Amino acid sequence: MDTRRITSRLSTLLDIYYNIMQSSLRIVPASSGKSATIQDTANSLGLHDTLQYGPRSLAAEIQSEGSLKARLENWDATQDNLKLTLERNIFGMHAPMRRLMERKIVGTTAHSLSAPQTNLHLDILMGRDETIEASDVFLGREGGPAFDVHAEIQKKVRT
Amino acid sequence: MDHIDWNRLKTGEVNLGTSIMAVQFDGGVVIGADSRTTTGSYIANRVTDKLTHVHDRIYCCRSGSAADTQAVADVVHYQLQMYSQTAGKAPSVHTAAAAFQKLCYDNKDALSAGIIVAGWDEAHGPSVYNIPLGGGLFRQPWAIGGSGSTYVYGYCDATYQEGWGRDETVNFVKNTLALAMSRDGSSGGVIRMCVITEDKVERLFVPGNELPRFWEGHEILGAAEPRKKVASDVVPMVEA
Repeated sequence: MDTRRITSRLSTLLDIYYNIMQSSLRIVPASSGKSATIQDTANSLGLHDTLQYGPRSLAAEIQSEGSLKARLENWDATQDNLKLTLERNIFGMHAPMRRLMERKIVGTTAHSLSAPQTNLHLDILMGRDETIEASDVFLGREGGPAFDVHAEIQKKVRT
Repeated sequence: MDHIDWNRLKTGEVNLGTSIMAVQFDGGVVIGADSRTTTGSYIANRVTDKLTHVHDRIYCCRSGSAADTQAVADVVHYQLQMYSQTAGKAPSVHTAAAAFQKLCYDNKDALSAGIIVAGWDEAHGPSVYNIPLGGGLFRQPWAIGGSGSTYVYGYCDATYQEGWGRDETVNFVKNTLALAMSRDGSSGGVIRMCVITEDKVERLFVPGNELPRFWEGHEILGAAEPRKKVASDVVPMVEA
């Protein structure tokens, strides 16, 4: 076996594990403390997007909508994390690592034949192969196409 | 825009007001609960089943928020199914109780759940574990929980004896729950009990009109006594 490939696979595994999974038995997302951030309003250059959101202000940056928004956004990830933690407790540390690695492999492998927006293998590994959600109807998006002209143009221009 | 007051939501949640109880005896355990679920002062369900199956011979009694206890019991049920598939045998009651305890402790700030886990397993026989608010784990020969339990600690302490058989334990549970239900506003309805032994789980049901009755204060409150007959030589007054 190629030793370089083995070490790169191992570092991928560890990256996945430490970045994605927290060993936690939380059933619902914890309410995060308030914080200021420009992440929400950043454009592709990484700075606050004045054209779209107006000048920088404390009101725009302080995360006062934390509680419900954070809860809904982190809901699926928290449920998934709970299942992975239960697997870790029962089967050992290798189990969630394998599952996450499989997901990454399947998620990044390019399929030429199937439609790019559907990934059955990833659906199966994520446990959503037997449900129909908004993202299935809207081909990967949660809602309909957003009428965000700036983002559309940027997507086209960005290589 | 969405400054939700989670504490307010919590207090308005559907609540298993409750009296729950589990007692260990020689061959198994008897668990029991009342059947009232309230939302404030409205009784949302008067025939609730608070005795939840988590494995073949392991049940839990739920008190506190209905949603929280259902969510926790679902996760533990799922976990014990995975466990029994891997281990090839039924989990012990201690394993189930530890699973409950881990969840309750790690989610301490979001949950309002008091759970009693009881059952029978091959290694240790019958056992009862109490997991009150906060997520501690306590093994006890008998445990009571819920809002109604505060009224019957004295009765239980005075009455419980070791070495009882099945029928005496069932009577103990029935009487204790009846007393709790008669004093606690958030407990009432019917009494549901389960007797868990090595062979089977037997469900018992005591309807509301067959609950054991204790002092009901007839002397003071004046129940409907038959009217005393008036002496025949006294003539009742009539309007002219």
